[in-house]
Amino acid sequence: MKIGGIDKRWVYLLVAIGALIPIIKPLGLPVLSTPAVEALFEKIESLEPGDVIMLSFDYGPSSAPELDPMAESILRHCFQRDISVVVVALFPLGGDNQAKIALNKIVPEFPVVEGEDYVYLGYKDGGLAVLRRMAEDISIVFPQDNRGIPLEDIPLMQRVQNYSDTELSVSLATGIMGEWWAILVNAQFGQPVAVGATAVSAPKYYAYLKAGQMLSLLGGLKGAAEYETLIGEHYPELKERSQIATRGMDVQSIVHLIIIGFIILGNIVYLISRSERTRAGGRLASK
Amino acid sequence: MAAFLTLAIYSFLYKDNPVYRFAESIFVGISLGYEIGLVFYRTIWPNLVERLIANPGPNWYLAIGGILGLMLYCRYIPKISFLGKWALAVYIGYFVGVELMQRLHGDVLPQIKDTMLPLNGPFWGSLQNLLIVVGVLSVLIYFYFSKPHTGILKPISKVGVYFIMICFGASFGYTVMARISLLIGRLTFLVDGWVRPMIALIFGSS
Amino acid sequence: MRRQIAVLLCFLTGFFVVVAFFIEQDPIPDINEKLDELLVIVFAFALVLGVVSFLQHHSKKIRRRDKGWTSSVISISSLVIMALLGIFESSIRGTGIIGDRTTFDWLFNWVFTPLQATMFSLLAFMIASAAFRAFRIKNIEAAVLMVAAIIVMLGRVSIGQVIFPQSLAISEWIMNNPNLAAQRGILIGAALGAASMAIRVILGIERPYM
Repeated sequence: MKIGGIDKRWVYLLVAIGALIPIIKPLGLPVLSTPAVEALFEKIESLEPGDVIMLSFDYGPSSAPELDPMAESILRHCFQRDISVVVVALFPLGGDNQAKIALNKIVPEFPVVEGEDYVYLGYKDGGLAVLRRMAEDISIVFPQDNRGIPLEDIPLMQRVQNYSDTELSVSLATGIMGEWWAILVNAQFGQPVAVGATAVSAPKYYAYLKAGQMLSLLGGLKGAAEYETLIGEHYPELKERSQIATRGMDVQSIVHLIIIGFIILGNIVYLISRSERTRAGGRLASK
Repeated sequence: MAAFLTLAIYSFLYKDNPVYRFAESIFVGISLGYEIGLVFYRTIWPNLVERLIANPGPNWYLAIGGILGLMLYCRYIPKISFLGKWALAVYIGYFVGVELMQRLHGDVLPQIKDTMLPLNGPFWGSLQNLLIVVGVLSVLIYFYFSKPHTGILKPISKVGVYFIMICFGASFGYTVMARISLLIGRLTFLVDGWVRPMIALIFGSS
Repeated sequence: MRRQIAVLLCFLTGFFVVVAFFIEQDPIPDINEKLDELLVIVFAFALVLGVVSFLQHHSKKIRRRDKGWTSSVISISSLVIMALLGIFESSIRGTGIIGDRTTFDWLFNWVFTPLQATMFSLLAFMIASAAFRAFRIKNIEAAVLMVAAIIVMLGRVSIGQVIFPQSLAISEWIMNNPNLAAQRGILIGAALGAASMAIRVILGIERPYM
């Protein structure tokens, strides 16, 4: 249990304290936006009221702290601008619930009507097969919405048959699912795609972003905080409600410093012990 | 309940203990049970059963999907396990077929296309483009293991190693951020959802 | 004969999907669409295939009273309760987003969600202890990795921009240039590998379904 002479549990305690302090007393550090995130914001800003986007919940509870704030910010942005949203969930272990949690939270904030301004089609198994099929006809894969109403009876879905009837698809994804949107939905069907990815997956998506297979990339909690910052700058009335990720960045700041400190300290300990061993070895050799 | 289970899992940080193992066992069981429930009411019922009942004529082919799905379970019955292999062969054949075209059309070609960068433009732009071209080629050569890395391949793959190290360093930085985000989620839940209301209840403050 | 039929089925399905990518004349697109619908259903059945193996393994453990058999009892009980709730409560579900208040959803929101989220959050502590214990700059490559990691870590957080104002710009440059180059090389290599594996499976050289 000891590492470099220090019990591992002291390390855990330091991390826990470092994380708790900014949660209890936020530091209010500013968050600067980057072009990768601004691209999505500007795209949604450029849409007209009544335009439709698709929002796919491709993550579960294990990625919720990073991707929930993105979902909430994007929904707020769309509803504020009267942009209609078709919501689907494609992640088996929790996508359905994450979609419901986000909609349950954001829908009451705006005068939107289910079936006209937004619709939740529910979760569907099949991953790639579902993405391929939605290029032809969404109602083949989702014959009903979450309420059990057939798609042909839903006003919003009467004008949305497939991807080409939407202006943009946004996937909030964990693991490989964001890649599928870029290499299948964008590459094969030409649909503009934006991906909100967990920070673990985000570095890989820069290649797709640069190749134009993704319009925008929101990476991890920082990406969510950047989007919240943009929302707050352009829509001050929404600022107070869009602060979850921004507050989380205070914790990120402190814990990152702690971990960088551990890396430097660990290497100092290593260099000292290595030079002591070298000296001890030199003394033995000279004897 | 959620707070108790959260603390039960965190107790592992002190020492492995029965409370942690209890919570872990529930987690495993519930996640699999959830899959079963979800698959049934989100896919099998609306996409197969309801559609076949509503319109059996035009939707007859869906029955093939149901039969193939059930055949997958035949692998557990030794006498008819070959049926499971047939169903799995169709399943795998479909997905590798999609994967093949997707990877070539959606990954390889666009990425190669975007690597064809101009090297005769403004100085700094061309230098950055050269860096990317050299990086992509050297990394590809590093991962080419069919020939030993001798002669000209050796210094090129060494350059590739440095690009990979920068990439892994960046990925590590992002991974740290991802893991901390999960911790933030849990601690925020404990503090805002449990500790603060408990303190307010005990001390009667807002 | 049975093995040959499996190989043939894999070949026909895979080959058809590849051909359908190029041919737009009827009836190919129509059959392709129907195949997608079928596979959505087959995928759903396949998703719970692991449950049978799980039940076999844990019930054997309980029968033999192996070490940790009580954990197996808890796991199987949780699975059965959740699965039955999922199947039998489905008739009262689907009453709208606000209206979904079944025991199934409650167990997912208040038992599964905190358990999974907390399990993954343990990694934050592990990564901190690994940072102290394991990340040693033993050579130039490790030094390059660590420098890149520290710059990106500082660049991604607000306090990093206070300590080192250029960290955001440098970390963005790292992500958009050397990181991009390496990720692209890895992507192309992996994609070519996946494509060649796909060809081997379709042609029956590799038979993962056997």
